[in-house]
Amino acid sequence: MKKSAYRIGFTLGALFLGVLIIVAFTFLGKKSSGPLEDFFTKMGSTIVDIENDYLLSQREPVRSKELEWFNKYRNNKESFLQPDTVFLGIFDNNYQKSFENILSLENSLLTNLSFIQIYTAWGDQSGQRFPEKYAKTIFKLGSTPFITWEPWLNDFDREEHGLSPKEDPNKNGLQDIVNGDYDFYIDEWASDLKDFNQLVFIRFGHEMNDPYRYPWGPQNNKPEDFIAAWQYIVNRFGELGVNNAVWVWSPHPAYYLYGEYYPGDEYVDWVGVGALNYGNVALWSQWWSFEEIFGNYYNWLASFNKPLAITEFGSLSVGGQREEWYTEALDSIPEKYPLLKAILFFNNDKDNTTLSKTLDWSLNTDSLSSKAVKKSLNSW
Amino acid sequence: MSKKNDKDFWKYREARKVTKTDRFIYLVLVIAGFLSILRFGDWWFRAEHVESLPFFILLSLLIWYGIIRMILIWINYLRIKKPEFVAAEKGLKVAIFTTSSPGEPLSMFDKTLKACANITYPHTTYLLDDTQKPEFKKVAEKHGAVWLELVGLPGAKAGKVNAALKMVEEDFILIMDPDHIPFPNFLDKVLGYFRDKKVGFVQVAQTYYNQYRSFTAKGAAEQTYTFYGPTLMGLAGYDSAVAIGANCTFRKEALESIGGHGIGLAEDLITSIRLHAKGWKSVFTPIVVSRGLVPEDFGSFCKQQLKWSRGLFEVLFTEVPQLFKNLSGWQRISYLAISSYYFVGLTTFLYIAIPFLYFWTGIIPANMNFGEFIINGAPIIVIAVSIYLFVQKWLSHPQAERGFHWRGMILKTATWPVFLLGNLLGFVNAEIPYIPTAKKAVSGLSPYSRPLILHVVLFIGTLAYVIYSRLSTVSEGLLALTSEQVWGMFAFAFVSVFLVIGGIFAALESRNLPEDEPWRKVDLDKIKTENDHQ
Repeated sequence: MKKSAYRIGFTLGALFLGVLIIVAFTFLGKKSSGPLEDFFTKMGSTIVDIENDYLLSQREPVRSKELEWFNKYRNNKESFLQPDTVFLGIFDNNYQKSFENILSLENSLLTNLSFIQIYTAWGDQSGQRFPEKYAKTIFKLGSTPFITWEPWLNDFDREEHGLSPKEDPNKNGLQDIVNGDYDFYIDEWASDLKDFNQLVFIRFGHEMNDPYRYPWGPQNNKPEDFIAAWQYIVNRFGELGVNNAVWVWSPHPAYYLYGEYYPGDEYVDWVGVGALNYGNVALWSQWWSFEEIFGNYYNWLASFNKPLAITEFGSLSVGGQREEWYTEALDSIPEKYPLLKAILFFNNDKDNTTLSKTLDWSLNTDSLSSKAVKKSLNSW
Repeated sequence: MSKKNDKDFWKYREARKVTKTDRFIYLVLVIAGFLSILRFGDWWFRAEHVESLPFFILLSLLIWYGIIRMILIWINYLRIKKPEFVAAEKGLKVAIFTTSSPGEPLSMFDKTLKACANITYPHTTYLLDDTQKPEFKKVAEKHGAVWLELVGLPGAKAGKVNAALKMVEEDFILIMDPDHIPFPNFLDKVLGYFRDKKVGFVQVAQTYYNQYRSFTAKGAAEQTYTFYGPTLMGLAGYDSAVAIGANCTFRKEALESIGGHGIGLAEDLITSIRLHAKGWKSVFTPIVVSRGLVPEDFGSFCKQQLKWSRGLFEVLFTEVPQLFKNLSGWQRISYLAISSYYFVGLTTFLYIAIPFLYFWTGIIPANMNFGEFIINGAPIIVIAVSIYLFVQKWLSHPQAERGFHWRGMILKTATWPVFLLGNLLGFVNAEIPYIPTAKKAVSGLSPYSRPLILHVVLFIGTLAYVIYSRLSTVSEGLLALTSEQVWGMFAFAFVSVFLVIGGIFAALESRNLPEDEPWRKVDLDKIKTENDHQ
């Protein structure tokens, strides 16, 4: 009896201390996850820099040379705020692996794309920090990064950040942003952006007026919350001395109530909207012309008197003539929409965000459409 | 005690006792280790980490095979045990067998037989000789040993031992490796354990005296330190201590019950597993009562390892399956673990192949952030190293044997081609000739170093190719994105290249090793056995 009590005590004692060591490790890990992770991330980018400085500097650049004309814009914020030309850009879903898809499309379009868009969500993971690696790559290729920054608030470990538990962190989440709950994240992101030290377009909380899509929409927040959160973030960036952000406010034009989400002229640099024709791929969709999905709203959008961007531009091929859609759209742009200053192709060959099936928006494999696009662009 | 004395090889020593505090601290470490492995596992097995499923599975098998072996060792240490000394009964009939083969130096036998004669417990020494040289008979008679001429028997050592078993009357047989110099108290220290009628054999620690001779010798010795201390002590705690290497004392009845000493490249382990399967108990006592020779040059070391790796496969494929049902639980695990040890050839080869596969084909097995890997893996490494260092308090000669054993690690990595060859020979059941472990250093650059040189050349060639292609052919759209990955992989590949270069150094050093007969310098009169329990 005594013997077994001794053994149980012995084991429990050891178990307790073992758990303690691990808790200490974990605690250490969490407390220092910033610095440690920082260290490794910095190590990664140092490797890239060293290779650039000592090895790749020997190599003759091709793309950035062709985009030399763009330097006067991308190195000067003023010229971005009052652009005197129409920029082209692209989002390509393969960007994390390779930008070759973009380069090969450029070859077939005989043009270079000034903006490269990426989407990134808020959260604790390393992939949710400021995407320094991709921003650097994009800049090195001669373009300017265009970042769609999505405030998903459910990807944070609330306990770790000293936030009280909340069943749905997205509910009234924009108010929490204004209350400073997410300052730890915003500040880190801002300071990484500052370190990057090149101009970056930031499209925060896009389609905030669509009640069916994203959690920062009206189902969880009031319009004034959105405005307050936007202003809070822009101000905070300013206080931290971040001067290299170009802010793109991007409502969904089909939901008419977007005027009440506008954060104000001092807080917005560009206005952007999507222009995607789904054809009749789903029950709710039909073949819309560019005029119908963008042109009809142009006067509204123009009333903000900011440069306009089409942040997602594209058409599927189900239910109409895709190449004609592109020709009609692009040919109409120069005269009809003078404030439209940027068009970003939505080159996603595996889009499964909207429907249960995968949609292919890419131009790479559709030579008819890419020829049509090339023809229209060359006629500008 | 002076520092010099601390490292004195010619002195009786024993590992320290296991206290309750030791066990407690150790248990704490193991629990922390298990938790950190759980944490690592929780992070490792995530769908987002899969880049290529077959290769991810392969990499996972590699990593977790290593982790599971480590867990087994940790569990093994939980029962670490030092047996209470038992004084020998008087009047036991004891024989010492030592074998001589053609090519072995006569002067070594002069020393070994003299040392055997110095052993205080009454015994008869037999020289089992097939050299067919009269000098060997003379040297045996000079030291009062019985000379048995046993020529043309199979299985080198074991064949002669079995023949001699039939010729002698004694009840206990100490099989002495001829390169080992026993201390006078050898038999006094082991015979007592045979008071237990179920004990079939008593194994002692195997230690060396020629480490100073070369890098290879140091490294080879380092590889054995932990095994002949904490590892075997743990096995003993589970009643699974194996007979392995030199200087095991057997009960003759036990050997007879299994039809004599096992024959094969791993004859000790074959004998051991058969005895355990017959129900005999074993004792391991962590004491230094003899010292022998470790291979001094890279070539002999590789030959020895090839022989062992091939031999252990025989145990794994032949003995273990046959005897499995007769073994106890932990005996099953430990024989499986010991006989599969040399799979390390295959696993090292695969670890080496991964970066080359990436450079040549672009295949990357896992999509992991290197920083996260370090953050999640570091606790395991910290605890594994702590445990490795902690159990070193039970080395039989800690003052000389303690440390990180980096030379041992270099040799272990640099012998991957040898182990792999042993693996392959084992898979196809092909023979390698019986190669006695070289007792004297052999000059010339070992052919075993050729695959290592090829390995380094491949690395340099690949590096040059990658630099060239990044300067000219790799698409701009890929360059910056792959920078971290490419140089991270080079860092990974360099770890093994660095260790392999250490192996090439050992081979180069072996080339200039002067011939020596280390036993000539050993003064038998200076062997100290004072802290005897008699």
